[in-house]
Amino acid sequence: MARATLVATRGTSPKREGAKMWVGAEGRILGSVTIGGCVDARVIAESEQALSSFQSRLVEMKLGNEDAWEIGFSCAGDLDVFIEPVDLTRSDNVFELYRAVRNAIDQGKRAVLATALKDSSRKLLLIEGGETSGSLGTPELDRAAQTVALDLMRKGASATVLLGTDSVFFETHGPSPTLIVFGASHVAMPLVSLAHDMGLKTIVVDGRPRFATRERFPDVDQLLVGIPSEIAETLGYTSSTFVVLTAHDYKYDLPVLKVVLPSRPAYVGLLGSKRRGSAIKEFLHDGGMEPELLNQLHVPTGLDIGAQTAAEIALSILAEAVALRSGRTATFLKDA
Amino acid sequence: MPELYSDILLDHFRHPRNYGSLDAPDVSNEQFNPLCGDRIRLELKLEHSSVTAARFKGDACAICAAAASLLTEIILGQSVEQLASLPDARLISALESDIQPARLQCALLPLHALHEGLANYRSEPKQ
Repeated sequence: MARATLVATRGTSPKREGAKMWVGAEGRILGSVTIGGCVDARVIAESEQALSSFQSRLVEMKLGNEDAWEIGFSCAGDLDVFIEPVDLTRSDNVFELYRAVRNAIDQGKRAVLATALKDSSRKLLLIEGGETSGSLGTPELDRAAQTVALDLMRKGASATVLLGTDSVFFETHGPSPTLIVFGASHVAMPLVSLAHDMGLKTIVVDGRPRFATRERFPDVDQLLVGIPSEIAETLGYTSSTFVVLTAHDYKYDLPVLKVVLPSRPAYVGLLGSKRRGSAIKEFLHDGGMEPELLNQLHVPTGLDIGAQTAAEIALSILAEAVALRSGRTATFLKDA
Repeated sequence: MPELYSDILLDHFRHPRNYGSLDAPDVSNEQFNPLCGDRIRLELKLEHSSVTAARFKGDACAICAAAASLLTEIILGQSVEQLASLPDARLISALESDIQPARLQCALLPLHALHEGLANYRSEPKQ
């Protein structure tokens, strides 16, 4: 079967780089690289030709305004789709690399697979933590690719980047983002519901079984009741983990932050005023925590959107966390 | 008149003694306040029915955490029989603070863990 991957977009696009469509030799189709229409139809046709020749190809599609409107773009956009024939009966290097990607994800890590578009047999895999396998052809190219991969890994994004004369597609994979909320408070309730709708795995931790209930958190994936800081020590923290402390109580905030901040998740937010935040940071600093770690703490948590209600506060917290993950400054889109 | 938060209370809160866990404790009991969320686990090692080691772990307010820390010092070397009749006032006075009635439950939570833990220990069949 052929694997078609959206590797680059110029202009607006309904799907992000990394979107995939599988086209089987018997005509079966799984996934899509746009929202359907003529682009996907052309990708299917190109995939069938790639299967006949068993040669990879880069398909560059220049879209006029009419085409763009037709497939859902609000303005003209160009996109590149890379099509690779894959023989599922043959166990080759590609399968090994994707197995390594799966293992990394299972361990809560991100991974970036870099592919030279001129010759898709040249691949380099970089796993969060520094482990690599494969090569793009030269040590220089591999070093340059690692720098790009680390940046994209942090952003959780895929992209095609020109390295010298080589176009290289960096495909970023990672575990499902997870939101861990300490404190089963009234703010935690809409926070978990909204995060669930956004596709995040959610965990709520509290010492009070009367608060950490399925009735209050119908969408939560895990409800954990016990000594919060002790539970915090058992959880995994990766660059895909958001942590928000909503108890608004130093007895939970201080011991949990002692565990969570050194674990360096993607985001740590603490509910409370600047004044309260300063007091908490001072206490932790007196206890020996490095200023560099304390600077990772977002307190007050959230964006300044004038949030008043629990649901609005939840929205502002998740908006800040997403902006941070994407490396954006969270300004008005019309001004961006 | 004792202070609201004495130096000894603040010192035990900021620098808790015997914080942690024991390997294979003879007594382990966890208590929590269902409303405020104080949660303390007390663990003891016993030899010849006397406490040879005590540890506590938990996320709790300053009064509760300091009381747990002080309790682990008070009970060391005492027999199970002596501890069964350890009065609330012994722990309250050790805090040297003006514990208001509304906060008594914070101060006494570790003592509840001790009494319930020892009661469970006494009722368990011994090898």
